[in-house]
Order: sequence, then structure tokens, then C-alpha cells
Amino acid sequence: MKFAVIALRNLARNRRRTLLSLLIVVAGTIGTLLTTGFVRFSFEGLREAIIHGGIGHLEVVPRSDIRESGSIAERPGLPAMTGWQEVRSEIEAMPHVLAAGAVVQFTGMISKGERSAAVLAVAGEPERERRMRMEVKLRGGAGLPDAPPAEGEDAVLLGAALARHLGAETGDVLTLLGITTDGTLNALDLRVTGLITTGVQDVDTRIVRMHLASAQRLLGTQNITSLVVGLDDTSRTLEVETALERRFRGRQPSLAVVDWKTRAPFYGQVESLYLGIFWFLGSVIFVLVCLATSNTLMMSVMERVREIGTLLAIGTSRAQVAAIILFEALWLGVLGALVGDLLGVLLVAGINALGIEMPPPPGATGGMELHLATAPGDFAATVALMAVILGIAAAVPVGISVRLRIADALRHV
Amino acid sequence: MTDPRAPRRPLEPGSAPRIFEASGLRKTYRLGAILIEALRGVDLVVTRGEFVVVAGPSGCGKTTLLNLLGSLDRPDSGSVLFDGSDLGRLTSTGRTLFLRRKVGFVFQSFNLVPVLTAYENVEYPLWIDGLDRAERRRRTEEALVSVGLAGRMQQRPDRLSGGERQRVALARGLVHDPRVILADEPTANLDSTTGAEIADLLARTNSERGTTFLIATHDPAIIERSPRTVRLLDGRVVSDQCVGLSGPGGVR
Repeated sequence: MKFAVIALRNLARNRRRTLLSLLIVVAGTIGTLLTTGFVRFSFEGLREAIIHGGIGHLEVVPRSDIRESGSIAERPGLPAMTGWQEVRSEIEAMPHVLAAGAVVQFTGMISKGERSAAVLAVAGEPERERRMRMEVKLRGGAGLPDAPPAEGEDAVLLGAALARHLGAETGDVLTLLGITTDGTLNALDLRVTGLITTGVQDVDTRIVRMHLASAQRLLGTQNITSLVVGLDDTSRTLEVETALERRFRGRQPSLAVVDWKTRAPFYGQVESLYLGIFWFLGSVIFVLVCLATSNTLMMSVMERVREIGTLLAIGTSRAQVAAIILFEALWLGVLGALVGDLLGVLLVAGINALGIEMPPPPGATGGMELHLATAPGDFAATVALMAVILGIAAAVPVGISVRLRIADALRHV
Repeated sequence: MTDPRAPRRPLEPGSAPRIFEASGLRKTYRLGAILIEALRGVDLVVTRGEFVVVAGPSGCGKTTLLNLLGSLDRPDSGSVLFDGSDLGRLTSTGRTLFLRRKVGFVFQSFNLVPVLTAYENVEYPLWIDGLDRAERRRRTEEALVSVGLAGRMQQRPDRLSGGERQRVALARGLVHDPRVILADEPTANLDSTTGAEIADLLARTNSERGTTFLIATHDPAIIERSPRTVRLLDGRVVSDQCVGLSGPGGVR
């Protein structure tokens, strides 16, 4: 005979009330699982979209491009990274590295007939980008060819909003103006092979993508702006970053390694926002479950005042009485959470199978399919959470029971 | 039927060790704006092995007196000595241990724990006192056999008759071999035949085990078996008669 067994039998005395309490805990558990799954889906989706949208897991840049704060300074007009082929070979030989793609970024002016627009040009290597699982979201036409284009066959992808502004379509030839390394203005004719979206409306109005060779031809340099490093697993980012920093220590010209989170401060802001929402919803669930179960536990204690008085009269200590009531609460929490976990798994699977399309977030151009992400640790965490909540809910009933005066309790009807 | 009136031990107060010695017990309850004086200065001495009935009409203070003697409540004034120790000085832990080891209670409504079987109800006081399983089993079965419930051990209280429940309650009160059993109207919820059986069981237990019994009742079946009857009226002792003795019992 154990207090836990007595507590379990006590719960079986009033099955309807116990069922009601369990339902409250089950609902709280499912709510917690769904909220956690949604937040994780949002974090993971945004994280992978940022990484595979072009910035990669890590970026290797000349240290002169790094601010004191650690972030990358506004892109300089000209690419400054020299000797990058050797650096790339070293990086690509490291474990977990899928590829290291050379990138040139510059600002320029693009024209189609009378219409012009200032643009942010991003030039890369399509074949390596594919190895790094970068996604170029085409809204029309085709992507850039893998092979470096021959002179006079340069191609460009236009942001969809930029294309609308210019009145450009696939197949049109546009002129891109840029400043060369010796400070002169240069022009390059580019054929539009496709229209793209980055998912962010503002960026789509000014982005163009082209092959690295085209950008270097326009700017008259073999330098690059940076090397973007893609990994096989995002969780390896810190490990590879540390290894790269160790490898580049003392190298001249000095290189810096920047992770994707530093490159995308927007992610941190979204993370804070979602965590705020998560904690708010979690608090609501916490309070609701706590109050509702506290009430039923209180009813259970008040109905057993004389019985508790009897237990005290035959030598049960007040701590032992408290243990019985606390065990009742813990049973409710643990059993309810286990059932909630089971139903939650089924519900999450059902929601994911429905393929619900989420509306685009503010500033984005496309929605995402809802896919709630649960982790094994979530289930243990909800059990622990519900046990804690029920433990807190039991505080008042326990307090009342241990303060009972025995003679009064025995007279209680 | 066992006759507890048969001379089996010294009855004269002072000739046997005193187990209870109550002096000047007063207890007042507040019922809304009304103050009810349940006890108005009760003195009582009970010696070891006695079988004492506290009789009197409803509301005369019988239950209050038992609660104070059993340390279930505290007097407004006065004191209770148990084996010479002042119960008013007990700490919370000391009080729990006193209730666990020194006294056993039998209540009018049996007060069994409904989720425990008869066996578990009787075993419970031993379990909370930390006895090992084998010792618990031996004592529990012995107690249940002694009250005639050998075949009903695994029944829960709701499957037992009133008489059987009170037998379980008595076995629970006796199982830890207390110095004294305090019984509050133990036959009030039973029919006359069953009440007589319980009264006989209480008397026999007193006779065979030497356990002190202090029973609050107005059941003639118990009173007629008692060698000593203390009568209360309006919170005061109005008589204290020992059958077969010339003078009052332990009343001073």
C-alpha cells in the first residue's frame, strides 16, 4: 500500500469529476503541443528559408568588411576578397561542408529603354548553389545556366516586382551599369532568362541575379565579395564556424566568418516576437488548467473533510495527508498529459496531412504550407509541465487539508 | 458473553497507575453569536485497564471530553495528563505519534477509509508507523480474526454490514496495541442486536487484552456491561459510579 495507490483509488471514487479534470489537462497538453509545434515550424521554416534563400549557413568575408559589432558593413562598391580559390578549396575539404560558393554583390543601374532602376546585383555560381541546396524561386522563365556564360551571352534573373517596374519579360535584353575597379563606368548587356522572388516584397523590387563570371566581367576584377558556405546540417553551424575561425587565424589578408543569424537580424526579431506569443499562450493555458483543476481538487478535499480528519486522528501526519492530495494532483497531471500527448500526435499528423496553406506573413510574397513540428522532447516536457501545473493547483487544497482541526473535521458533515 | 463486571483487576482509583488524569477541563464553542459551554470544569481519573462509560444526554459534552482526552482538540483551560505527561505540551509531531501509538479511536459512523479494503484499513496504522510487511500482516490478521472478520478481509467498507464495519474499526483501533481505546457512540448506528454484539466485543477485548476503554454512549447494552459509569450533564460530571464499589470511581 502506498500513498500513490490510495491517491489513484481516490480519483476513481468520483469518475465523472476525474474525467472532467483529465479532459482539462488533455486539452491543455494538446494546446501546448500545437503551440510548440507551430512555433517550431515557424522558426525552422524561416531559418531554412533564410539560409537556403542565398545567405548560406556561414559567410567568409574580408575582415575589413566587418563592423566592430560583428555584423557585416554595408557592401562596399567593389569586391575585395583575393586568393579566394585557395580558401574555397580548404573550406570544401572540411567535414559537413556541401560547397562554398563565390559571391559578388554590387549596386548598379539597370535599364530597359527609357526605364531605369537602381539594383542590388547578386552574382554567384549556380552549380555550387544547387549543391548547397539554395533555392531560387522562379516566377517565370528558367534559371541561370551552370556554365560561365561566354562574352556577349550574359544572362540575368530579375526580381518579379523589378521586372514589372521595368516592363521587362523573359527574353528581353537589358543594360546593367556598374563601376569598375579602376573607377570607370562600365555597361553589360544581359538577357532576361527568368523572373524570381525572394519572398520579401521590398527585395523583389531591386534584386537581380547573374553568373559570377558576368559580374566579374562588368566590374573588371577577379575578386569576390565573399564565400557563402552551405552545410549538410544547420545544427553543425557553430562547429564548422569554430573550425574555420581556427583555420583562418593569422592569415593575411585577414578573413572573418559570419553565421547566418548574424547575417539575418530579421530572424532574431521574428524569434522574439514568436517566443512572446508562445509564452503568452502558454501562460493562458497554465492559468486555465491550474484554476480549473484546483477547483476540482478543492471539491474533492472538501467532500472528504471528515475522512481526512479520521486519517489525522489515527496518526497520519499532516505531511502524509498532503502527500495523498499531491499524488492525486500528480496522477491527474501525468495521466492527462500522456493521453494529451497521444491525441496531440494524432492531431498534429492530421493537421499536417491536410496541407493547410498559411497566408503570407507581412512583407512576404508567398504563403507556406502548415507543418507542425514536434520533437520527442516535447512529450516529456508536457508531462513534466502538467505535473508542475497540477502540483501548483494542489497548493490550496493541500493547505486547507493540513490546517484542518481534527475535532472540527470529524464533526464535518 | 463476557462480563466485564467480574472482578479482574483493581478498580479503586489510586491503586492502579493512572492513564488519564484530567483537571478542570473547560471547552467553549462559538456557534455564530452564541457561545456554547461544552465542558465546565471536568475532573476525571482513569486507571490502566479500566472499562469506563461516559454517559449522558446528547449535547452534555461526552464527545468533547473524549476529544480532549484523545488530544484531538485542546481545552480552553485545564489539563490532561497521559501516563503523567501533559498532552497540552505535545508538539505537532509528538501529537501525531501519540495518536499513532498510544490511543485507538472508534467512531459512531465507523469512519473507515472507503478506498481501502477491511485488511488495508486495519493495516494502515501499522503502515504509517513504518512496520515491516511481515509484522503488519501478522498483526492485521490477528486483529481481524479477534473481531471475527477472518473471512471478510478483502472486502471494501461498502460491501460490509454496519456491524462488520464497526468490527473493522475496532480492529483498526486495536491493531497497534494502544494503551487506550476511545470510542464515541460505537453502537449508535447499529441495530440493537448488532449493538449488543459490539458491546460484548468491546467488553471482551478489555477483559482479554487489558486495554483501557473509555466509551461515550447512552446505549444501555454498553452501560450495563460497564463496571464504571461517569455521567455528564451540561458539561459537568454529575455522578461517577463503580459497580460493586461503595464510593465513586475516579472522580475527585
